[in-house]
Amino acid sequence: MLVGWTRVLAFEAERLEQRLCMEAKRIATQPMRGEDMVRLAADILIKLNLTSPDQLLMQFEVRTEGQNFMLVKGQPESALDGAVWRTATGLGSAGELSHQSWQSTLRAEEGMPSLLGNKPQQPNEPPYDKGRPRWDRPNQMGACSIASFKAKDKAWRAARFTVDAGRSIVAADLVATRADVHSALKQALEMVIPLALALTALGAWLLSALTMRPVNRLRNAMQVVTQKALDQRMPSDGEDREFKVLIGAYNTMLSRLEASFQQASRFSADAAHELKTPLTILQGRIEQALAKSEQPALQNELIDLLDEVGRLSSITRKLLLLSQADSGLLLLQRKPVDLSTMLDEITADAHMLETSQDVQSHIAPQLVVQGDAVLLVQLFNNLLSNAVRYGSPRGWINLTALSMPSGVEVVFSNNTSEISKQDRARFFERFYRCDAAHNRRIDGNGLGLSLAREIARAHGGDLALVDSASDVVVLKLTLPLSKIK
Amino acid sequence: MKILLVEDEQKIADFVCAGLEARGLQVTHCDDGNTGLAKGLEGNFDVIVLDLMLPGQDGLSVLKALRSAGAATPVILLTARNALSDRIEGLNLGADDYLAKPFYVEELAARIHALLRRLAGDRQNILQVGQLKLDRISRQASCSGQTIELTTREFSLLEYLMRSAGQTFTRSQILEHVWGYDFDPSTNVVDVCIKRIRGKVAALQEPRDTATPIESVRGTGYRFKQS
Repeated sequence: MLVGWTRVLAFEAERLEQRLCMEAKRIATQPMRGEDMVRLAADILIKLNLTSPDQLLMQFEVRTEGQNFMLVKGQPESALDGAVWRTATGLGSAGELSHQSWQSTLRAEEGMPSLLGNKPQQPNEPPYDKGRPRWDRPNQMGACSIASFKAKDKAWRAARFTVDAGRSIVAADLVATRADVHSALKQALEMVIPLALALTALGAWLLSALTMRPVNRLRNAMQVVTQKALDQRMPSDGEDREFKVLIGAYNTMLSRLEASFQQASRFSADAAHELKTPLTILQGRIEQALAKSEQPALQNELIDLLDEVGRLSSITRKLLLLSQADSGLLLLQRKPVDLSTMLDEITADAHMLETSQDVQSHIAPQLVVQGDAVLLVQLFNNLLSNAVRYGSPRGWINLTALSMPSGVEVVFSNNTSEISKQDRARFFERFYRCDAAHNRRIDGNGLGLSLAREIARAHGGDLALVDSASDVVVLKLTLPLSKIK
Repeated sequence: MKILLVEDEQKIADFVCAGLEARGLQVTHCDDGNTGLAKGLEGNFDVIVLDLMLPGQDGLSVLKALRSAGAATPVILLTARNALSDRIEGLNLGADDYLAKPFYVEELAARIHALLRRLAGDRQNILQVGQLKLDRISRQASCSGQTIELTTREFSLLEYLMRSAGQTFTRSQILEHVWGYDFDPSTNVVDVCIKRIRGKVAALQEPRDTATPIESVRGTGYRFKQS
């Protein structure tokens, strides 16, 4: 833009110089015909697009003896004496070549033999030209020089055309001529800039749409890749080279992530599996000892041991289920499950527990889902155990189950001691038990809720902690409703 | 009754053998898949108890080979993997039942007996011990012809105890079997439930046997009085 602007200005400056030269030449060649200076001035004013005679300066000097010139026409201007002249640009290297064509053009146009043409060609340079720079030497063709000077508080650009008979000077007010350029440019820009902006915007939009397409594809693919779909890979066929590299890097990262995730998941699965054999032996041997034992004291001890083994088995089983869920292998034995009946039993259990808590329930009839009954019972047992264990003594437990358009919604709520936001944020974290639970020495391993959530998710639903007062826990389970046939 | 136990873990095999023999079953044990298959094909066993993870051939291949050779001996799978896919595959391949490790020998014995009764064409839907009778299909309980209204849990608990009458069960065992996994073991729900059943039986107009059929075994748990 800046370069373009500079070039426009440079071009305009050159054009002005050429025109000044042309007009200087007219003066240099035409005074011989006695042309009226005023008329000429008016004509030049129009040609240079000037508005006032103040903006123009014209002189004609006749060559006298030696190097001297004498002003014969036009206004004297002392500032011109100190001006530094240089060859006009755009007129050929020395300013003469194009003069020939100008010369001939002028001659042809005006139908007159030029001043120069009337004179016999002089093979040798006049003696007064010796030692002067070539560009400023008047030759038979005439030469044009340009100078800038300041006068009357204005900047002027002058052209001087020298012929054998004398020389002419035409100077124009630079600001006035530039005003012309500026207004022309302004006019042009007023049209060009909005158009250019519109074109740029369109181009940018097209370009970004084109560029964003693979980026959007990448983003969508990344969204698909959740914790449970780490085996997804992005295809890089047909993508640009840059995107191929990006996709390659992304896929490599996924592979590494998948490998370490699988390893971690397999580790807990293997660990759980390896624990099962010793647990089976332990449980079997204690059972055997219990069967043989006759002493009640020993029996009591063995029963306690058996309970501990049971707890260990329960943790092992949960870990195994969690690791299966993590690797997406928590397979469900799906059958139609009557949630209403299941929840009625859970409510009956809650009443039977004879806790100090007040148990209220509202369960809609005929809530049927496609699910794994064993796992769903485990889920509800976890939620109920949670409410009973961590609920306030003499508090309340509320259970509602409703059919919503999106599926079945089961809400377990209970009041409890204050639970901080930090604790709430870590509610579903494995092995996490909030301080209140530690302080009250409540049984539990902190796996129940995270497993409950995994079971819900494996069924295509979810389990979430709903925002509530800090001393109330509201857990909402959603399960997709099966179509009742 | 002759049982073939195919289990590579010696310590597990030891207590299973001891436990089953104590309940009057005759057990032959082998510790790898190939021997297990060869013995199973001899065909002189009433039930095969088959572990899934075995050296030689794994349990599922043994089962597959047995079935494709036409051996119809009932099979109970012991699975440590607990993976549902194994269980489903096992049942599809012709296993009659499965038991996840860790398991109680008592439970295994009960399953074996149930399996044999089923195969002998016993009417599975009626379970009767003494005066108490359970209809497993309609889930109705009656005592000397009088109907007892039981909740689902109460019925399941009674069924569990009656299935192995005379056998003592701990609260944890009952809890896991009747209430499923993860029911809070620190609760007294089993005792409450037993108390309710006893109450319902005692409330009958003419209980011929005034003593409750469910006995408390001090410190241990409960058992159903054998007739």
